[in-house]
Amino acid sequence: MKLTRRDLFVWGAGAAAGLAFTPVPWKLLDDTSIWSQNWPWIPQPTRGPVDVKQSFCTLCPRGCAVKIRMAGGWPVGVAGVSANPLTHGALCPLGFGAHQLNWHPKRLRAVRHNGVPSSWDAARSAFVKACTQGPVVIIDGYPGRAASQVFETFTEKRGAYVIALNPETRALSPYEHWTGVPATVLGYDLENAKTIVSFGAPLLDGWGIPGRFTRLWAERAAGIRDPELRLIDIEDSLSHTAAKASKWVSVKTGSEGALAAAVARILIEERLVAAQGPVPRLTLAEASDQTGLTIDAMRDLARMIAAKPPAVVIGNDENPGVAGLNVVLGAVGARGGIVRRSKRSKSYASTDALLANAGAVLVDSSVPWDVVPKTDAECFRFAAWDGGSGRADWLLPAPGFLEELTDVPAAPTSGFETYGIAAQLTKPIHEVQSASQFLASIDPALPTPEQLIHARCADLFKSRAGRVYAKEVRPVASLESAQKLEEQLSAGAIWIGDPPAPGGLKCELKEWPQGIATEPSRDWSATWPVPILPPLATKLYRESALREAPDRRTA
Amino acid sequence: MTARYGMVIDLDRCTGCGACMMACASENNTPALPQASPRTGLTPLLVRQVSNGENGANHREAFIPIMCMQCEYETPCVSVCPQQAVEVDKATGIVMQMPQRCLGCRYCMTACPYHARYFNWWDPAWPAGMEKSLNPGVAVRMRGVVEKCNLCHGRLHAAEEKAAVNGKREIDPADYVPACVEACPTGAIHFGNLADPSDPVSQESRSPDAFRLLARLGTQPKVYYKSKEPWVKALAEPASGRMEVKNV
Repeated sequence: MKLTRRDLFVWGAGAAAGLAFTPVPWKLLDDTSIWSQNWPWIPQPTRGPVDVKQSFCTLCPRGCAVKIRMAGGWPVGVAGVSANPLTHGALCPLGFGAHQLNWHPKRLRAVRHNGVPSSWDAARSAFVKACTQGPVVIIDGYPGRAASQVFETFTEKRGAYVIALNPETRALSPYEHWTGVPATVLGYDLENAKTIVSFGAPLLDGWGIPGRFTRLWAERAAGIRDPELRLIDIEDSLSHTAAKASKWVSVKTGSEGALAAAVARILIEERLVAAQGPVPRLTLAEASDQTGLTIDAMRDLARMIAAKPPAVVIGNDENPGVAGLNVVLGAVGARGGIVRRSKRSKSYASTDALLANAGAVLVDSSVPWDVVPKTDAECFRFAAWDGGSGRADWLLPAPGFLEELTDVPAAPTSGFETYGIAAQLTKPIHEVQSASQFLASIDPALPTPEQLIHARCADLFKSRAGRVYAKEVRPVASLESAQKLEEQLSAGAIWIGDPPAPGGLKCELKEWPQGIATEPSRDWSATWPVPILPPLATKLYRESALREAPDRRTA
Repeated sequence: MTARYGMVIDLDRCTGCGACMMACASENNTPALPQASPRTGLTPLLVRQVSNGENGANHREAFIPIMCMQCEYETPCVSVCPQQAVEVDKATGIVMQMPQRCLGCRYCMTACPYHARYFNWWDPAWPAGMEKSLNPGVAVRMRGVVEKCNLCHGRLHAAEEKAAVNGKREIDPADYVPACVEACPTGAIHFGNLADPSDPVSQESRSPDAFRLLARLGTQPKVYYKSKEPWVKALAEPASGRMEVKNV
C-alpha cells in the first residue's frame, strides 16, 4: 500500500476532528488559563502578620473613624467604625481606597524647586532666607490640630497664621459676621431638626461627616426615625440630593438668594414663624422673575418649611441671603438649628490682606490643592501628592495616609466638640517631613505635635467633661488618669464633648442681607482635598454612570 | 444546618454614593486598569441609576446596586457552563465561581439575565508598590476567566475558620458580613440567612415591599430589593415580550 500526500491530509484532518471529542483540547485550554497566572509579573498580595487597628482618616478635616486592616506592616483595607457615634461606620467612597494613595504614581517622592529635584537642606535655606525678606504667612486648611498650634507659635513674631476655610465652614461665615462667633466653632444640630432645607448643599452626596445626615435620612426612609423629617432641596440641576429629597425645587441658576428673600417675606407676612426679622425689599413678583417660580409655588414652599419645626437652612456657600433665612426661622442658636459647639472665640484674618507684603508663604498639606496664594512671595507647599507643577516655588513631600501622628479636631458642621488621635500606623515610603517638623528644624524651641497632643489630653482630663467612645462608653470623669485617656484616644477611641446648651448664640438682623450668586453644588469627588483620586475611584468613574469624571465636568 | 445566604437592599435608603462599589473592589483586589471600559471592566457590584421617566418636579430617581443575584433554581450560569466551573454551594446557597476550572468561553455571561458577570480581559496590574495594599485574604483576579460577586467568599472562609478554632460548627453571623454590606453608609444593604425564619433579613424578604428582579424567570434569586415607591417596584419586571419566561 502506497502512502500518498492525500492520505496524510486525511489522516491529519481525522486526527484533528477526533481530538475535539477527547478532553485534550479542553484540558490544554484550562491549563493554559491556570499557567498564565503564574508568571512572575502577576502581583501578589503582601504576606505577614495580620492585624486590625483603629484610627482616623486625615485626608480631609472631617476626620472619619477608620478600621485599618494591616498585613506585614502595610495597610491593606479600610473600613468604617460602626461603634463611632458620629460616622456610624460610614466613610466617603474615596476613603475605601485611601490605603492605595501612598503608592499613587503622583506621590511626591522628593523635594522639588520649580519642578527640578532639590533637597531638604536647600528648601530650609531658601525658607530661612525668604523669612528675612518679609513676614511669613502660614496657610492652614485643617485648623484646630496640634500642628496648627505649632504654626501659630512660629508666626507669632514672624508673620501671620491664616486658615483656608472649606466650603462647609464658608457657608457658616455670615453668622460669624453677625454674631462675632468664629465660623470654625459653629455647627448644625441636625439630629433634632425636623425640616432641613438645602440651598444647593450636597447633603446626600458628600456634605459634612459621611454617615451623619445620610444615616438620619436613611433611618427616616426606613421608618426608624420620625418619618416626617423633610428634606427640601433647592438647586438648579438634578443632583443626587435633589433626586432623593422629599421635594426638589428647581430654580434658575444664581437665584437662590432671591428665593430665600421671598420665602422670608412670606414667613413674616403670613406670621408662619415666631421669630421676626427685617422684611426683604425684594417683592414676590421680582423674586418670581428671578427664580422662575410662581408666587404660589413660593408660598407653598414657605408653608412647607414652616409646617414642621424646627427647620434649618443649609447653604452651599457664604450666600448671606440664604443665611438670613435661618435668622427669620429662629434657627440660629436654637435646638435643631445652628449651634456653637465651643467657647473658643479666636478668629483669624483673611488671607488676601496679609499676602501682599509677605516674604514667604508656607501652605500646609491639608489645604485643598486649588488654594493658590496670590502673592509674589516665595511659596513653599507641603503636599503628599503632586497636583501639578507651577503652583508653588517649592514642593515639599509630606507624610501620606497614616504616615504621621496627628490629632483630629471636631469636623466642620459638627454640632459638638470631638477629639481623636490618628497614630502613625505605617512607615513613610519616601523621605518626607511634615510642615511642623520642617519648622522645628528651623526653630528648635517650637513645641512638637506630640507635646501638644499630650497637653490637650491633660486639659480634657482636667475638664472632666464629655465621654470617651472606645469599646465601651465611659465618662472622662471616670477615667483614672490623663495618660489613660491619651492611650485610649491613640488606640482609636473618640472623645465627644457635652452637647452645647441652647441659647449660646444670639443673632439679630437690622436689615435684610443682599444675596450673592450661589456656587453650583459639588459632590464628594469634586471636594476631595487631595489632588489625586485612589485608582479604584478612577475605575468607578470610568466603569459606572454614577459619577462624571472631573475632566468631563470641567470640559 | 444548611444556610441560604441572601440580601435585601432597601432602595429607598440608597443614595447612590458608590461606597459599596469601592469597598467591593478593594476587598476583592479588583485592579483599576486604565484600558478597561464600562464594557470590559470588572465590576462585580455596579450601582445603576434609574428614573421614573417624568419631567420637572415629578422627576424621581433611584439607585439600584446590581450584583450576582445568587439564583437558587435552574441557575442559568450553572446550566450552560461546559466546565462545571459554576455551582450552587448546597451548604450556603452561594453560586460559586471556580476560576481554575473556567476556560473563559463566556457562555455564562450570555446566559445571565442580570448582566452580573464580567470577563477578565487583562492580567491584574497596579502602579509600582501598590501591590502592598492588596488584600492578602483574596487572590488577585485571574486573566481569561469570568468573575462575579461571590458574597465575599474569603470572609466566609475566615468566619468558618474562626468557628472551627472555637470548636463550633456554625459561624457567628457577625463574623460573616460582605464588604458592601459593611460599607453602606445608610445601612441599605442587609445580609443574612434566608433559610432561617427568625433572621431579620429572611423576614424582610417576605415584606410586601420586597421584590426580586425578573422574578418571572423563575430562577429564585436570593437578592431581594425593597421600596415603597410603586414606580421602583415596576422596574423589576420591564414590559418586554422577549423576556416572558414561564415560571417552571
